[in-house]
Amino acid sequence: MEVDLTQTIPTPSAGQVSRPNTAQSGHLIDPQALMAIKNLEMRAKVVVEGFWNGLHRSPYHGFSVEFSEYRQYVPGDDPRYLDWRLYARSDRYYIKKFEDETNLRCHLLVDNSRSMGYGSLPYTKAHYANTLAATFAYFLYLQGDAVGLLTFDEQIREYLPARHRTGHLRHLMLALEKPAGGGATDLAAPLKRIVEMVNKRGLMLLISDLLAPLETLEKNLLSLTASGHEVLLFHLLDPAELNFRFDKAVLFHDLESDRDLYIDPAAARKEYLKKLTAHNARAQFTCQKLGIGYHRLATDRPLELALFDFLRERSKRGRKIR
Amino acid sequence: MNFLAPLFLFGALAVALPVFFHLIRRTAREKLPFSSLMFLMPTPPRVTKRSRLENLFLLLLRCLVLCLLALGFARPYLQKPVSARLEPGRQIKRIILVDTSASMRRDQLWPEARAKAEEFLRKSSPADSVALLAFDRQVRPLVSFDQWSSLAENERVPLALQRLAEITPGWASTHLGNALTRAAEMLEDNKSDAQSQQVLRQIVLITDLQDGSRLEGLQGYEWPRGLELIIEPLKAKRPTNAGLQLVTEREDWDQAADAPLPRLRVSNSADSKREQFQIGWVRPGDKGFSGAPVAVYVPPGQSRIVPAPKPPPDLPAEQLALTGDDHDFDNTVHVVPPKAEVIQVLYLGADSEKDAAQPLYYLKRAFQQTRRQNVQILSPSASTPPGQTNGPEARLMIVTDALPEDRLKEVQQGLAGGKTVFFALKDLPVAQTLSRLIGTNNLPVEEAAIANYSMLGEIDFQHPLFAPFADPRFSDFTKIHFWKHRRLDVDGIPGARVLARFDNRDAALVHIPAGKGAVLVLTSGWHPADSQLALSSKFVPLLYSILEQSGAIKTQLAQYNVGDAVTFHTESPGPARPLIIRKPDGSQVQPTPPDRFSETDLPGIYSVTSAPAPFRLAVNLAPEESKTTPLTLEELERLGLPLKHAAAAKPQLSEKRRQHLLAAELENQQKLWRWLMVAAALLLLLETVLAGWLSRRQPAPTLSL
Repeated sequence: MEVDLTQTIPTPSAGQVSRPNTAQSGHLIDPQALMAIKNLEMRAKVVVEGFWNGLHRSPYHGFSVEFSEYRQYVPGDDPRYLDWRLYARSDRYYIKKFEDETNLRCHLLVDNSRSMGYGSLPYTKAHYANTLAATFAYFLYLQGDAVGLLTFDEQIREYLPARHRTGHLRHLMLALEKPAGGGATDLAAPLKRIVEMVNKRGLMLLISDLLAPLETLEKNLLSLTASGHEVLLFHLLDPAELNFRFDKAVLFHDLESDRDLYIDPAAARKEYLKKLTAHNARAQFTCQKLGIGYHRLATDRPLELALFDFLRERSKRGRKIR
Repeated sequence: MNFLAPLFLFGALAVALPVFFHLIRRTAREKLPFSSLMFLMPTPPRVTKRSRLENLFLLLLRCLVLCLLALGFARPYLQKPVSARLEPGRQIKRIILVDTSASMRRDQLWPEARAKAEEFLRKSSPADSVALLAFDRQVRPLVSFDQWSSLAENERVPLALQRLAEITPGWASTHLGNALTRAAEMLEDNKSDAQSQQVLRQIVLITDLQDGSRLEGLQGYEWPRGLELIIEPLKAKRPTNAGLQLVTEREDWDQAADAPLPRLRVSNSADSKREQFQIGWVRPGDKGFSGAPVAVYVPPGQSRIVPAPKPPPDLPAEQLALTGDDHDFDNTVHVVPPKAEVIQVLYLGADSEKDAAQPLYYLKRAFQQTRRQNVQILSPSASTPPGQTNGPEARLMIVTDALPEDRLKEVQQGLAGGKTVFFALKDLPVAQTLSRLIGTNNLPVEEAAIANYSMLGEIDFQHPLFAPFADPRFSDFTKIHFWKHRRLDVDGIPGARVLARFDNRDAALVHIPAGKGAVLVLTSGWHPADSQLALSSKFVPLLYSILEQSGAIKTQLAQYNVGDAVTFHTESPGPARPLIIRKPDGSQVQPTPPDRFSETDLPGIYSVTSAPAPFRLAVNLAPEESKTTPLTLEELERLGLPLKHAAAAKPQLSEKRRQHLLAAELENQQKLWRWLMVAAALLLLLETVLAGWLSRRQPAPTLSL
């Protein structure tokens, strides 16, 4: 049974972000064309700007469209932020309190295991994940959020705390551009470590292919959510992994375990898809059970759609998008 | 093409295996990197619609190898439309050799031999050429090729059968080697170059193939190419055979005259079933022993030497017999006791035989009487007239003193008659006699001046006189010291030959021909005054050598084997009275030439009655004929005989079996399987090289990350 991993997008309503208008924006950026851009930050910019163009919004407008609350004017405040309508109504001076004054800490948890090094397209899942993480980082940075990074395989490789400082984004991009260490996939130790390292609540964006036993996934994610973090999981898979459309019986080489197995795809496909579907379903169920946003992405899917999924998820949770 | 083992062709079905393996072949080196195999299980190779054959040429090679192997094991051969008779027009030239030796007298061997010979005679086609030969010690043609060809077709076989019926096994031994080589030479002699390729040459040997057959001449014999030897062995139904032989007189002729009775050798053939036998004296013509026999125990394959029992007093000790085995052809031994030969030597000297300082004393003691010889030294006194003691038997005359005129003439007559004079030049006055004997005047002789003694320094060992001493063990004469000798000028003597010299180069022994006889001059004496010769160990053999050279010793053997030629040393009384030999069957034969008789074809006692001294001979079977254990064909093959088993000689074989044998023989000649194996090996080598090259040519897999 062919699994349709393209999730349906609900009709936009107030407070909801509508899907990028492809007709008006032209087309979504082909990931292969995007990956041809060597600079990671540039790729992220292209995606974000493309996304905003589709939303008819300027990504450089740094002011919130909506504000969450007022506070009384005190001498010294910038008079540009006075709410004159409220003054007209109340004859008192109030300053708008913007979303950006709410300190969002976002950590990008990027899986850098060997299995992420697989790719049937001209780029690997790791490239896609790094680009996706860079896109999120860029977007959030523009939003004024503090962004941190944590890369891992069976242990944490790189860690940047969530900051919103000059140069931090650059450090983050550099960290993402570093080649992967090449270990096996193991979520338990990194997630446990993250809970210990990150005290303040924030947003955790987990980008991984989840090609590891899921027995401890629930426990590990629970420790994150129990710590008060908001977790979004982006499950990355290559189209070849999703469809397993190989035509030749060859020796399949496991990138993580270095094992070789002689596989006849025609004979093994059915069973493989069955197991993969069950695995993915389990992961999704686990996330739903824990209230974790779960998004399954194929690496041939335009990254704007991932960004859209991210924003939609955020809006579902009552977070305002500026 | 036909196959000797067609079932092996099913092995060609194994070609399905490489085809199958090529379809499911995994290219083990081709790897595809994948993120994780956690959802995958290994799958066995299978043949599907999408499976395709790879490396077709390699597959073809492998299939071809299997096919060639299957073909090779099936032993193919090309059927030729010929039989053992080959193409029409190709004839057979066949010699049938029939054994007529003494061992063929056993059981029904001879009738079987005749039947087999008749079988081969009758199966010859009109185009074939056949010769029939009988053999034992000699080869006797019964029907030659020319006789066969000259007869009409319907007369050939009857003539051959008739000739075969006229003969029976004799008493001679078996000289198989001689018979086979003679037959091969006969076939070669009759071969012509133009026809050699069309004629099949065969020797059919009908024999009991006994172990005692003489096979000399076969070792290393180069058999003509294309010649076949078919052996038709005959086997006696009863295998036990013991033979009786006399231990030959040569082996015990040194025994003293009063030696005990003769010794006998009892041999038991290897395939005998019995071991106990009896031997005893028999009266000719009687059955059963005369007197008490002696029991003998001889295990199979062994022999024993036993003394003959004492003959009864009233029985001439001429015939011994053995009982207890199955065949009596070799159970009788004829014995003629050896008679001592009287040899007379005339001594002409003035000394007494009792005087130890004189030559005669030592001469008398040098010649001892034995069973074979009795040397009589005739020493006439001065009063004995010449001729009275000089009988025709005294071939040797020894002179040690000067002779009076009458004695001198007697000796000269003897020399003229071919006798030998042994002249001891023991002093100078004797030299005159020597001069008269050899016909010279005033022979220069002088006493040699010797410091202490002289020795014999040079000896002509090539001369028959000294030939017995040629062995290095006996050739040292230096221990014999000569105190005195006479110097004889040999150069002035015509025909003189120095046989020995002293160490001062003076002649010691000189051979001088005189008339028909010869004079042997010893320039010293053998008595102690002149030398140590009489006291040395070489004196007696030297005297016997001189005796033998003079022709005085004419030992007449009394024991012969069947077929041996007998040389008579007895002179015929004269042309009017030739020697007559009476054979055991009573017939009388006059030998030609007079001194040689070769018709010893019957065992028994032969009597020579017309000789001045009648004597008898005993002729017995050759000991080898008693070795009746059959030879194996392997032993004959080791000699390189071109053996061929005659399938046609077994008519009781079924046609199918015969065809199979013929097919096997044809396949064995063609040996096509060898070429198939060679081809398979070469293809395998090519496949190995090609497979290795192909595997090296495949690109290394690259992992994409």
